[in-house]
Amino acid sequence: MDIIVILFLVIGLFFFLGGAVGIIRMPDFYTRLHPAGKLDTLGIFAMVTGLSLYNLQHFSFEALLLSAKMFLIVFFVFLSSPTATHSIVDAGMRAGLRHWTKKKRRG
Amino acid sequence: MKFIGFVIVCLTGALLLYGTGEFPDWGDPASPASIHLSNHYIEKALEETQVPNLVTAVLADYRGFDTMFETAVVFCAGLACFLLLRDFSRKKERFYRHTATGVILHVKDSKKVLKTGKEFEHMDKDWVPSDLIIKTICRILIPFIQIYALYVVAHGDFSPGGGFQGGVIFGSSLILLAISYDLKTLLSRVKEKVLGIFAALGVLIYVGIGAICMPMGGNFLDYVKLVPLVPGDPHHIRALGMLGVEIGVGIAVTAAMAVIYINIVSEGRHDEGL
Repeated sequence: MDIIVILFLVIGLFFFLGGAVGIIRMPDFYTRLHPAGKLDTLGIFAMVTGLSLYNLQHFSFEALLLSAKMFLIVFFVFLSSPTATHSIVDAGMRAGLRHWTKKKRRG
Repeated sequence: MKFIGFVIVCLTGALLLYGTGEFPDWGDPASPASIHLSNHYIEKALEETQVPNLVTAVLADYRGFDTMFETAVVFCAGLACFLLLRDFSRKKERFYRHTATGVILHVKDSKKVLKTGKEFEHMDKDWVPSDLIIKTICRILIPFIQIYALYVVAHGDFSPGGGFQGGVIFGSSLILLAISYDLKTLLSRVKEKVLGIFAALGVLIYVGIGAICMPMGGNFLDYVKLVPLVPGDPHHIRALGMLGVEIGVGIAVTAAMAVIYINIVSEGRHDEGL
């Protein structure tokens, strides 16, 4: 059981790390939002799965309820994180920010 | 006038700095607060107030006066935003939108006024069409945020939380409505007048609960004297008194948050945009 929990936590950490690296390394505004929106969502899903499994080790109704509440966090992050990213991208497009291309733009 | 204000600000600052010189050092174990107060709070709070959350007990009972005036400060912040920023002057040029077709009319003559209602509606330059995805998600999320805010207010005396936090969360749900739809939608749901009345009502609930204690034979905010008024276990009367006070704080903070946001974001004009 512990091994599964640790595995989930490590997977979550890996995605969070990837997201953090991506935010720093990506070349422009829109591509940076990609890791910020996506990897956090999956990272938090894996993390909460691990934590709720750990919580269910001593099975009882209270523990089950607590795990369900933890998954509510995941549910709301699933709803709100992509929406936030979407609205930020939308604002960027409206403000007229050009997306990044490989070719050098002539100044 | 500005010069006088500057002098007053400098004098107040100097007085405050002068006052801090008399304080005991930061974290000094020999200071009166560490010797007497903290120990008393930690050891006796549960016994004296029957409230498991020590922070709430200190905040709403031992230091009830402090919190009352904090609420008044929040109310004053909302009032100041309203008085300084609210702009009742008529706009020089107006924009109207034809509801059925979405055609936008730009009226430059300030005397010409179109009748708004079924055919035309007001709009302004900053208006951007709101997005379907954002609208839908916010419509799903806002009720949950509000329920969570009520939960935080109601559980203030048992778990972390309380009136200020719950009020801020509730206010943020109103702000989310204003962001995802537009300001006019929020103002058509919650009228400006209602917000003002609620901000004052919250403070009134707090002061009222304190003031009721006085004719019952106690000091101001002495919740124990409320026992004859409230049914239920008399041991929990302090917790109930705190709950009432927290509800007042929550209402005041919610309304003040919304008033501050609305006035700052539209520069007091209460436009449709943003």
